[in-house]
Amino acid sequence: MAKTIVCRCEDVCIEDLKLGFEQGLRELEELKRHTGLATGFCQGKCCIAHAARFLARLKGGDDMVADPPRTRPLLHPTPVYRLAGELEAEPEGDGEP
Amino acid sequence: MTRARRIDRGPGCPFERGAQVEFRFEGRTVQGYEGEPLAAALLANGVQVFGRSIKYHRPRGPSCMLGHCSGCLLRVDGVPNVRSCEHACRSGIAVERQRGWPSARTDLFRTVDWVYGRRLDHHEMFTASAAINRLAMRFVRRMSGFGDPPSADPPAAARLERFEAEVVVIGAGAAGMHAALALAGEHRKVTVFEADPRPGGRLLDGACRIGRDGGAERGWAHLAGIEEQLRDCEGVELRPGTPVLAVYQGERGHEVLASNRGETCVVDAARIVVATGAHGQIPLFENDDLPGIFSLRGLDRLLLGWGVLPAQPVLVAGGAPAVDLAVELVERGVETGLLTDLEDARIAELEKRQVTVVRGQRIIRALGAKWIDRVELGPEGSQTPELVLDCGLLAAGLADAPAYELAHHAGCRVEFHSESGYRVVGDERGRSSNAHVFTAGHCAGAPDVERAIESGTRAGMACALSLGEDPDLARRLDARCAADG
Amino acid sequence: MRDRADLVIVGGGVVGLSLACQLARMGFCDVVVLEQGYLCFGASGRNGGGIRQQWTTEENILLMKESVRLFRRMAAETNYNIWFRQGGYLFLARDGKTASTLEANMKLQNRLGVPTRMVSPERARGIVPGLDTRGVEVCAYNPTDGVLFPFPALWGMAKVATQLGVEINTYTRVTDIQTRGKQIVKVVTDRGAIATSRVVNAAGAWSWQIARMLGVELPNKPYRHEILVCEPLKPFLDPMVSDLSDGTYFSQTMRGEICGGISDPEEKSSMETRSSFRFLHRMCRSMLRLLPRLADVKVMRQWAGYYDETPDGNPILGPVEQVDGFIQLNGFGGHGFMLAPAIGRQAAEWLLRKVDHPMFEKYDLGRFARGEVEREIFVIG
Repeated sequence: MAKTIVCRCEDVCIEDLKLGFEQGLRELEELKRHTGLATGFCQGKCCIAHAARFLARLKGGDDMVADPPRTRPLLHPTPVYRLAGELEAEPEGDGEP
Repeated sequence: MTRARRIDRGPGCPFERGAQVEFRFEGRTVQGYEGEPLAAALLANGVQVFGRSIKYHRPRGPSCMLGHCSGCLLRVDGVPNVRSCEHACRSGIAVERQRGWPSARTDLFRTVDWVYGRRLDHHEMFTASAAINRLAMRFVRRMSGFGDPPSADPPAAARLERFEAEVVVIGAGAAGMHAALALAGEHRKVTVFEADPRPGGRLLDGACRIGRDGGAERGWAHLAGIEEQLRDCEGVELRPGTPVLAVYQGERGHEVLASNRGETCVVDAARIVVATGAHGQIPLFENDDLPGIFSLRGLDRLLLGWGVLPAQPVLVAGGAPAVDLAVELVERGVETGLLTDLEDARIAELEKRQVTVVRGQRIIRALGAKWIDRVELGPEGSQTPELVLDCGLLAAGLADAPAYELAHHAGCRVEFHSESGYRVVGDERGRSSNAHVFTAGHCAGAPDVERAIESGTRAGMACALSLGEDPDLARRLDARCAADG
Repeated sequence: MRDRADLVIVGGGVVGLSLACQLARMGFCDVVVLEQGYLCFGASGRNGGGIRQQWTTEENILLMKESVRLFRRMAAETNYNIWFRQGGYLFLARDGKTASTLEANMKLQNRLGVPTRMVSPERARGIVPGLDTRGVEVCAYNPTDGVLFPFPALWGMAKVATQLGVEINTYTRVTDIQTRGKQIVKVVTDRGAIATSRVVNAAGAWSWQIARMLGVELPNKPYRHEILVCEPLKPFLDPMVSDLSDGTYFSQTMRGEICGGISDPEEKSSMETRSSFRFLHRMCRSMLRLLPRLADVKVMRQWAGYYDETPDGNPILGPVEQVDGFIQLNGFGGHGFMLAPAIGRQAAEWLLRKVDHPMFEKYDLGRFARGEVEREIFVIG
């Protein structure tokens, strides 16, 4: 049987989600951390809906997946140099060791 | 590799491209058009495998063509993991594939995929003893990573601009542009960010129609009209090619972070209209990640937008948007099959034109070594194929998944709908759970372009109203909402 | 859920699980762990996985040394990969005062068997190709420090503890702890009550709330600490690089991601876990200054966790005067993860076999009232 890939960025297949659920992972936040789902280059744009549907079916209702995993910035991977420009009037702390 | 060709893009195509140019692809010289997406140029050159996946080394190729997925990542001019569907083709660039040994095209590490046919548990492998584990860690480290670190001269920090805006509209699609127009109509100052270099969103889809049947207006035509209106608008500043990366909530209110190649800006926004559209979704089936499988909008952009046909025949699968796309492809002489459960006059017309139309079947698996060449179909729920179709290119669509992410950054409530995924919760005036954030279009669940346009206009009006009392505007908005109950 | 237990551990983070795991291994399994969210919900699932032995006090150095020893065996012992990679820690000093602190630390560390050495800026560039050492006086480098993946360390320990009979309840919030006189009698949760006479407060950023249920005031305060991760690339950075002038630190994970954070002296105590542009910007500027070749490396994600900070930067360990059987294992600031294996082990020895350890005296809650405070100055980030 060939793999059904849910998250292409991290090569997470449907079997990974099934097994995770069997091992007691009940929330998308847990499945995400366990499988790497939604942590790759697409940041979940291509897999969260699939994973939520899958989990809703296993848990027996759409209301069981009411919240998506916390959406973390950035929406698109962005090179450091673009985020490191000088900003006027930005207070720069000294920091202490 | 010789099957790929370019096709006529038809009249009114809004994607501009320059002269033919040459660039380097892994040592050989290939041709493309200046300004077209690198991925399109490579597909036109017959390139099928763009890279290898992170764990199983499965072949990867473009699939969304809109900068959402990770299938088309390449190394360009010494920079790893560049989305080639977003990167414009230029003369003299040097392009390489990543991962795979000895090459991405023929990768011996693919055996990992076959050996671990069901799945590979990276959590528990190599843990038999501490010594084995330490040895394995060395190997794993060498295998890890996606691409070599950048080798180009490191660029200096980009210009960073901080400014205040009355309203930031995120997304210049149908909803976002109409929201901006409505706001400008109320004399509000609006900054519109659009990730795509070309504003338009769904209106850029070649198969996009506003209104059905006889009176339908082409998305491309509607876009030309609205762009003209926007040009005449004083209060609207449009920043295409500048994706919003984040919306932060902090002590200073809402900060919108957006960035393009040349500069990055942080905008202190009094109001935000989230009109971020939706991400194409490919249904789940075995080998759903094989190169040659696209989302409906991805294939639309590639074929109708950029005129690249990597292979034939094309199988288009899905509901009404799939039928729209199939009609366009047949129109352009592309050998097309349609997998749908719908029945209407247009499909009957397609059947008359000898187009294969399959009903009552689902895709069970895609077959092909490095690019799709067949699909196996069977009834819903079945894993036993009843039908095998030759297929050089597959566009399969579920309902697009609303792009709720940026609204979620801003703390807006989202809700789950099983057919499409999470969407931003907004009322009939586009008000989200955050008083400073409005939402419109597909990200808030608009089912089609007409309703995205209407929701954009309303969100724009409601947003303007939230910035200052205006009984006349309030009446107009009330009337507009009352019109359809 | 069990309705009685010999010991209840509040907090399913690395400290609580490490203790549970050690207790279970010693044959003491009548233990219930209560976690309000999923495993990894708190700071244990939000940190950068840095493990270092370069500390400034004898206690901390020895404890960290023990932790490193335990982390090296952890994957094999739990059958769970924690991806521990000993690529070293490289500290950068930009002024004479910091340089002499590093020098003094090195001597102490060497005496205790940690092979830290001072390296010149030039030598540092050999360890980290491309490092911009302009303005750097001297560096301290210990090759046996390292980084790991926090999540699987928790899962592995939870798996072992569960297999041996410990009950771990996730999504279970402690709402009250009841006493009779000075004796604990019951822990009440939103999923039922557990009769017990001993409670370990390993609730990290929430420990002051747990303690308050028993009328115990802890001086710990939670502070948001932000962190980011970049795209996974082939190995190019071995050690954790840390600039002591602004508290920047970053390393490359086993997956190839650059992961790190930076101190923010303006951060106020709060339960905030939202991300900020301010952090992203300061961190990117610092990364670019230290290692210009990171310019084209893409930032993937940023998030925030807590530092559960005490006034002296050291944890609060052991029993308290006011309530019998109420044991503190909290206030670990930003270094709970690296201390956890050693702390868990010592605490288990102490609980079961009454084996004492000087840290329980030195780091007890009473020290703040007594004024016996020795500040750990090497808290980064």
